[in-house]
Amino acid sequence: MDFRLTEEQEFFRKTIADVVDRLIVPRAEEIDQKDEFPWDLWREFTKLGYLGLRYPEEYGGMNMDKVTTMIFYEEITRGSVGFAQSVIMNMLMGTHFVYRFGTEEIKQRCLVPAIRGEKICTICFTEDQSGSDLASIRTTAVRDGDYWIINGTKQWITNGPICDFCTVVATTDPSKGLKGINFFLVEKGTPGFSYGQVINKLGCRGVVTGELVFDNCRIPAENWLGDDLEKGVEYLGEILDEIRIMTGAMALGIARAAYQEALEFARKRVAFGRPIGKYQLIRAKFADMATEMEAARLLIYRAAWMLDQGMNCRKEAIMAKVFATEVCQKVVDEATRIYGANGFALEYAPQRHFRDARFLLYGGGTHEVLRDYLGRLLIGRL
Amino acid sequence: MEIICFIKQVPDNEAQVEVKGDGTGVNVEERYGLNFFDSLAVEEALRIKEKAGGKVTAITLGPERSVEVLRTAIAMGVDEAHLISDFSLQEGDEASTARVLAEAAKKIGYDLILCGREAFDDSSGAVGPMVAEFLGIPAVSVVTKVEVHPEERKAVVEREMEGGKEEIELPLPALLTAQKGLNEPRVPPVMGVMKAMKAEIKRWNLGDLGLDAQEVAPRGKTIRYVPPPKRPPVRYIKGEPQEMVKELVELLRDEAKVI
Repeated sequence: MDFRLTEEQEFFRKTIADVVDRLIVPRAEEIDQKDEFPWDLWREFTKLGYLGLRYPEEYGGMNMDKVTTMIFYEEITRGSVGFAQSVIMNMLMGTHFVYRFGTEEIKQRCLVPAIRGEKICTICFTEDQSGSDLASIRTTAVRDGDYWIINGTKQWITNGPICDFCTVVATTDPSKGLKGINFFLVEKGTPGFSYGQVINKLGCRGVVTGELVFDNCRIPAENWLGDDLEKGVEYLGEILDEIRIMTGAMALGIARAAYQEALEFARKRVAFGRPIGKYQLIRAKFADMATEMEAARLLIYRAAWMLDQGMNCRKEAIMAKVFATEVCQKVVDEATRIYGANGFALEYAPQRHFRDARFLLYGGGTHEVLRDYLGRLLIGRL
Repeated sequence: MEIICFIKQVPDNEAQVEVKGDGTGVNVEERYGLNFFDSLAVEEALRIKEKAGGKVTAITLGPERSVEVLRTAIAMGVDEAHLISDFSLQEGDEASTARVLAEAAKKIGYDLILCGREAFDDSSGAVGPMVAEFLGIPAVSVVTKVEVHPEERKAVVEREMEGGKEEIELPLPALLTAQKGLNEPRVPPVMGVMKAMKAEIKRWNLGDLGLDAQEVAPRGKTIRYVPPPKRPPVRYIKGEPQEMVKELVELLRDEAKVI
């Protein structure tokens, strides 16, 4: 057993941390306040090539291990959650099924430009009446000769209102529940595909989240991203593990940002003639935060390592996601307390982390649903 | 153009540094990075290479962990990296370092040598000019602009002076030390990072450079380290505005001696 990162992973971590410190951290507050997609930063950052981390070199990727990609998600989220969401969407969920099942032509048309940042993409799970309960989705895909016809409305779509293509999660047979789920590629400009309302959010501002509408949207047969209509749910499971661990890594990124700022504040802020970092109650907060963040980190890295080994990590991925996200809530809460009344002021960072952290309680599955599922996996079907 | 950059691994800006209780040394939190001024030197070397062609080589002298700054330089675009590490250099002073780096430069060959104006940790700023002296080449320190004319074998550089600038022309080969404002160091692209992670780092010890421990022994010796004086507590001046101003002026003049 060896808990160290490899020399390469450690070097990568330091390098990406430096990139984030230089390019993203200085923009975080402005991105949050303007709540507009930072196109200039997007161009500047994506041209560096980091969006291809998990894809093979032939498509402009780096074929990195999962532990390294988690380090990347953690670091970029530490910089700006809104920006990170857009980046991670292009790197992971938005391109995964295109890479896994797209024809070579589709990969060249969608995956390669998405890795270069020239196209923005997304995946559409959520609907008006279904979030974590995917079996209940009502968006349908019906085969019509050489085409599929998509109908439905998707909500809470990260990058949705600015996407060039999206992977739509639709049912090909509503009577089959989860077994009817399949994935379809829809590109901008397809008749029947339109952009709906943009959501005004509490946190993760800067990433554009909104509605996508599919009204008799006709796509070629090859845009079905799969190989067996019964197996969509299985392929979904594979990517959900990675999405959950990634969400944990994002939570750790937010927690680290809040923790570091609180630490610097506690070293400098004087009360009753001494820096507040000299008081035991404040020190105890840091002790607990650091301990729990370390525990979250170990859960995340181990689950990612299991993915790299090809091991089943369904349980570990949920543990990492739920634990890291809960730790994150606690850390952002404590950080605002350490800041005192300044933690309540919009000009200081803690309130931004506080707002951003909330999103992770729902993104990647609500904790109520995930803990229930994990409990069922542990107890077994009774 | 064959360009050599001397770079150094120094404690990170945010690393906690503490002088040991008995003054025999300094405890540094294990957080290191590439010296900021050296990153300017690397950036400038890469820009010159992009125009004039050639090769950029980064050299560092330090313990094994210093490999990391060489990888950082490779990620930025440096072609080759060398680590000089030797147990007998642990006690070395600026002259020891300069002597060793000068020998390495001779072995590798150069038209231009760039390094930071000083290292963030010891801030002596002596090594660059000393190397130039050992090599018998001209040097300009604290440059903020560099123009290289390879055909004419010369460089025109600018350095800041009190209230203005100085423009200097000097023949190549030469050594320049980089000052803030020279350029904005690039953010490494992922392809550079991949290359850096796999790159082979060439390693040298004193023997490989044809030196022995005697030749690079330090002349001076650090007797002790002294921490900076503790900041006195904040003092509040009370009273009527006129009295407060009077007292403040007195304190600033007599006690703080700043006016």
